[in-house]
Amino acid sequence: MSFTAFYRRNLGFFKLAIASNLEYRLNFLLDSVFQPLVNSIVEMVLWMAIFKGAQAIEIAGFTQNYYLAYALWGTFVARITVNWMYEFRMIEEIDTGSINGLLVRPMHYYEYYLSQLLGYKLVTTTVSFIFPLTLITLFDLPTQWSRIPAAMALIFYYVIFVYGMSFCIASLAFIFNKVNSLTVTKNLALWLLTGELFPLDLMPENIKNLFLALPFSCGVYIPVGYITGRIDSSVLIQGFQTTTIGLVIVSVLGFFLWRKGMKQYAGTGA
Amino acid sequence: MSFAIETHDLSRTFESYKKSEGLWNSVKGFWNRQTVQKIALKPTNIKIEAGQIVGLVGSNGAGKTTLLKLLSGLIAPTTGEAKVLGYNPFERKTEFLRRISLLLGQKNQLWWDITPLDSYALLAKIYDLDETVAKNKVKELSHLLHCEHVLETQLRRLSLGERMKMEIIGSLLHSPEVLYLDEPTIGLDIVAQEIIREFLNEYVKNRGPTVILTSHYMDDIAKLADRLLLISKGGIVYDGTVDGFVAKSEKLHIVTYKFEGEPEQRSEITKSELNSFLNSVSNKGQLESFKIEETDFEHVIHSFLQKESRVF
Amino acid sequence: MLAPAHKTTLKEMFKKYFILYRAFFKASAIAEIEFRLNFAMKIFNDIIWYAAQVFTFEVLFLHTKLIGTWDVYQTRVFLGVLFIIDAMYMIFLQENLDKFSEKVRKGELDLLLTKPVNSQFMISFQKVSVSCFGNLMIATGWFVSSLLNLQEVSWGRSLWIFLLVPCGFTILYSIRFCMAALSVILVRADNLQFVWYQLYRLGMRPDSIYLRWLQIIILTILPVGLIASVPARAILDPPETWVYVWSLAAAPLSLWLSSRFWKFALSKYQSASS
Repeated sequence: MSFTAFYRRNLGFFKLAIASNLEYRLNFLLDSVFQPLVNSIVEMVLWMAIFKGAQAIEIAGFTQNYYLAYALWGTFVARITVNWMYEFRMIEEIDTGSINGLLVRPMHYYEYYLSQLLGYKLVTTTVSFIFPLTLITLFDLPTQWSRIPAAMALIFYYVIFVYGMSFCIASLAFIFNKVNSLTVTKNLALWLLTGELFPLDLMPENIKNLFLALPFSCGVYIPVGYITGRIDSSVLIQGFQTTTIGLVIVSVLGFFLWRKGMKQYAGTGA
Repeated sequence: MSFAIETHDLSRTFESYKKSEGLWNSVKGFWNRQTVQKIALKPTNIKIEAGQIVGLVGSNGAGKTTLLKLLSGLIAPTTGEAKVLGYNPFERKTEFLRRISLLLGQKNQLWWDITPLDSYALLAKIYDLDETVAKNKVKELSHLLHCEHVLETQLRRLSLGERMKMEIIGSLLHSPEVLYLDEPTIGLDIVAQEIIREFLNEYVKNRGPTVILTSHYMDDIAKLADRLLLISKGGIVYDGTVDGFVAKSEKLHIVTYKFEGEPEQRSEITKSELNSFLNSVSNKGQLESFKIEETDFEHVIHSFLQKESRVF
Repeated sequence: MLAPAHKTTLKEMFKKYFILYRAFFKASAIAEIEFRLNFAMKIFNDIIWYAAQVFTFEVLFLHTKLIGTWDVYQTRVFLGVLFIIDAMYMIFLQENLDKFSEKVRKGELDLLLTKPVNSQFMISFQKVSVSCFGNLMIATGWFVSSLLNLQEVSWGRSLWIFLLVPCGFTILYSIRFCMAALSVILVRADNLQFVWYQLYRLGMRPDSIYLRWLQIIILTILPVGLIASVPARAILDPPETWVYVWSLAAAPLSLWLSSRFWKFALSKYQSASS
């Protein structure tokens, strides 16, 4: 298989995702503008209340502004690193058999949705970037701008790992048909494990170390902690390592689940 | 002689589980499930020469779609093997998939939210086609199908007939050597059916792909197919020409007649019965009207399928 | 039919809808048990969700004594109320309302509208998630044990929850339903339901953490505060009388508004594709 052909068609999928998401303007605005906005506000209000209740200048060594910055960047990053839409779509396609139309094409299902997911994430990320950008500048919250490129690199690397998990779950749909709730389980667990709810360093030391040893902390805590100055680059590098290990594991698992699934597949429907 | 499609004892069994009616049985089934094997396709041996157009006919659930899915590599065979263009379909090699095409009349294969032209551009990339070649091909095919005017409308805004034409163009874009058409005219009005039938007829004559076609409309089969495969309860029950099937069938004539003051009557008779039948009718009384028709393919298939489904 | 016009009595109507609901219940249960993995995961999901909520607050309370006006014990009671209402939501509503916009898009609404049954009822209650009864038990367990761990608890005041929790649930239903009904007007707005989750999240935190103006908003215009905060406050630190009165009045009012809104939405409804 030639690499240019591979590259050209995946660029095609990438653009397909962008085009079909921009097609429904209201949906797109809700997704990339309204939702992150409300989400950020809710999170920031919580931290203000906590500081008011605690009557302290600092919690775990950081001032209120650090937590507001964490909440703002955290909601922004968490929305990039979660995959609902395409995972549900994959599961439904496999369950209903509409995957048939894709299976007869000379490409792999894996690349088809990976490229689409990345395309979709790129547009929503670009658009919703204005929120942390304006709010951080407006309230003068702690952010090290020079660290953003490295953090974004980790975020998108982690998205590939997230997609690997989605692919594994979707492959299970060949065997169990309805596996939507597995997606919910996974994403709820990630909600806690990524550090979206609170900075992981607020936890007791040993639990925190356990969470950091898992790749999931790259979903929010590591990149956001790095941007807001809670952690230094050594933890970021550790994040790249754990994500790599995670990626290897889900890829191997996905390979076998897919193969097993295809064997059992009954080609539902027409 | 090498064959484009060849199967050797190809079969597929599906597993499901038995479930009796009611909530309590569901609860019981939660823990303990009895599996049931259903044979969708019995061991099947077929050989199809390159360039042949095969009509695959059978009632619902007879195994048509299962056979097509096996031959396009969508599902794995339970036993036996298939060779299509020398490949094992289920390995789903890129080189293999590039040379075949599957059109499912009841499903959308193009992308819902973008225009057909955009879909074709994407397909060109998937099949690694030269862009200008693909564009010319779209132009040519859409001209033949009289549908150039809808190429730039989102698929979801098109009517069923237009959508089917778009799907056909999409499935021919990469000039497949093997073409599986599953119900290409289903749900369409007579005019659209006719256009598509005419188009496919022209296309296969000029390009000569190997085609397997299933359809509920026997006109499709009669017009397009060189060879007929009749499938019933997972097994092939007839393999030969369309004319051969009609000839083999015993009931060749439909006779409609009416005696004075009686309701009209209808009989189906074979050639050998013709003489004696005429005699007996003319002796019975005063005929008011009398008509003999040769049965057509549609009719023969219809009565065949009816008989098949009664044999349970 | 030429039978004399017969006005259905309230009793007959209740009976009809009760029988109908029982049939929905049975059908949903059968369908749900079919997919074993999904069934088990659904129970498991809510456990994770509870754990995430509890864990968050427990970790935060490692660093502070109060959040808003409540300490860790009071917050646990609040979470108990929230879990109970959420479990009820999961059982009776979630399946139905989350799929709402999809149903509209696929034209299933057309079929529903031709049935001789109230369409709001049909579309809101057709599915029941039997598995989530397990969650209701867990939620109730958490609530009772957190109540027992309070230093002082007024059992008399606790009885309020039997009134206020159903009210909270009704309000939750009404808001969520209106949100879903919007998809009838704005075709293809699946993301509206995510917007709903963001609003709901405002209600998933004790209302005392909010600034006064925001607190007023979530008690009145956008009454997500009535869902869990008010019932919890009735037990923990009783609010002013008007809050009780308002909560009891808001439930039927919001239900009525939701049915008005549904009628309005239907009048704007254009059937799915061609």
